[in-house]
Amino acid sequence: MLLPMAETTPAVEIKDLVKDFKTSFRKQMLRAVDGVSIRIMPGEVYGLIGPNGSGKSTTMKALLGLVAPTAGHCAIFGKDSLKVDSRNDVGFLPENPYFYKHLSGAETLRFYGKLCGLKGRALEQRVGELLALVDLEGARDRRIGGYSKGMLQRIGLAQALVQEPRLVILDEPTAGVDPVGSRQIRDLILKLREQGITVFLCSHLLEQVQEVCDHVGIICKGKMVREGRLDDLISIEDQTEIVLKDASPELISQITALAGSAGASLVRTGKPRTTLERLFLRETTHADD
Amino acid sequence: MSNTTMISRGSHVSRIWVIALHAFTQLVRMKVFYFLAVFAVIAIASNFFDLPQHEGPESVGVNVLRSIKSWSLGTMTLFSVVLSIVATALLLPKDVEDRTLYTILAKPVPRMDYLAGKLLGVLLLVFVSLALMDVLMTAVLQIRTSMVMEQQLEMARAMDWPQDAIESLRAETLAQGPSWSLQGAVFAVFLRASVMASLALLISTFSTSTLFTTIISFLIYFIGHFQADARDVYLQAGQAGEGVFARLASLLISLVLPDFQNFNVIDAVIEGQAMPLLVLGKLTLIGLYYAVFFTVASWFIFAEKEF
Repeated sequence: MLLPMAETTPAVEIKDLVKDFKTSFRKQMLRAVDGVSIRIMPGEVYGLIGPNGSGKSTTMKALLGLVAPTAGHCAIFGKDSLKVDSRNDVGFLPENPYFYKHLSGAETLRFYGKLCGLKGRALEQRVGELLALVDLEGARDRRIGGYSKGMLQRIGLAQALVQEPRLVILDEPTAGVDPVGSRQIRDLILKLREQGITVFLCSHLLEQVQEVCDHVGIICKGKMVREGRLDDLISIEDQTEIVLKDASPELISQITALAGSAGASLVRTGKPRTTLERLFLRETTHADD
Repeated sequence: MSNTTMISRGSHVSRIWVIALHAFTQLVRMKVFYFLAVFAVIAIASNFFDLPQHEGPESVGVNVLRSIKSWSLGTMTLFSVVLSIVATALLLPKDVEDRTLYTILAKPVPRMDYLAGKLLGVLLLVFVSLALMDVLMTAVLQIRTSMVMEQQLEMARAMDWPQDAIESLRAETLAQGPSWSLQGAVFAVFLRASVMASLALLISTFSTSTLFTTIISFLIYFIGHFQADARDVYLQAGQAGEGVFARLASLLISLVLPDFQNFNVIDAVIEGQAMPLLVLGKLTLIGLYYAVFFTVASWFIFAEKEF
């Protein structure tokens, strides 16, 4: 069956992107991104991971037209990134954003909404919806200057969503946020995925990327070193995992023996562990009660 | 189909207006209007400044009125130029530093709309500030003119002046009071501040700091007061000014660097002379030329800028 046009056009298409920057010393060129290609289809959640200075943010900025590619091409839903109309369908949350401190949360969303052509009742309705979505209704009239780091990230995510974009670009969305705030942002990303919104994010927190992304690219020194479906990338093909509940030591012995007789070997047995983050969230939630 | 395609994206004008109103609000919430209190003190205090007297007693009242206008317009010039340079120099680097610029340019906002909006916001602030100062100056001047007129007429009658001399004194005193020419002078102050704001905008598109933009803008402001004299001296200095190249260079300088001596008509208004409409029209065209020239030049640089 043929897919409709809108679904066959990639949400993000980066082809052989190269970006050189002049360094102040002797005007030598520094290659920040070297031949990176990324293709993200509508509805996918794509995580770009890599060490500091590997070219993640530059790739995102090139996609948003904030820097011009030295070579290569970037497009959003088929529209050239350097053209303003490509930004109609994009929401962007930069790393460590600081919004206008003199505005309240609601005023901030109103400002960005108006920039996107929203007005009147539709704008007010959208502001209300977004504040509810990011759980900031209680702080709608408080000045942004008094917001915590987590609240800033959430209002940042809300402004990114103000014009109902089909693509959301998030640069380190949970940087500097405590585990509870981090979890809220992650839940919001999962909500976006459920709504069919394409998400392109970069993060240092690999566990979070693993939890929300279905496609991952690993970038290092400006080059894409590995890319693909997350499940394909992290599964160990020659091993199988069985998790049992209430298994007796005898049963484990029998399974070990059975595996040995069938020519397989038992690599490891033990108790599955929760993550430190889950433990933290459980304990701090109880403390609140 | 996505909902987004159904949303009206807004026109350039509406986007510029949104950014302008925001820049205006931002500056107002920085409490810049506190300087109006200083202006009020100066406007009232200028009633009591003693000027050196070389004329007869009939000129005392008129000199007080001149003093009010002189101090008020001088303070307006100072505040409006400082406000236009500092506010413009502050807005752009602050947006880059706080990364709010990323979130704005990541929306469907052309860079020209952003620049024009910021400039318009500063101009709106300068206009409102000047309007408020103008109201205060006119009120003080009106009250003082009535008082001076009463004193002058009383003095003239006591000295048995002939009727035509009294009428002449009345006309002279009225010419120093509030007039349309005075409003024209305030508008000229606004035009000069607009030129400076657009110049500061141009510098801030390639400068790396607010301090650099502010210093260079003030430097050009001072050069602007002397560049016409400097060009005249150069062109009249023997053979140097006779060549075609020298004349072209001089023309180029006057096209790029604003000649603020054009705004000296304000001094004539302080002296009580009328400002012809033609002069005001010429000033408006000069102001518009420089403001548009600097804004378009800012756009050329800003359009290619990487963040």
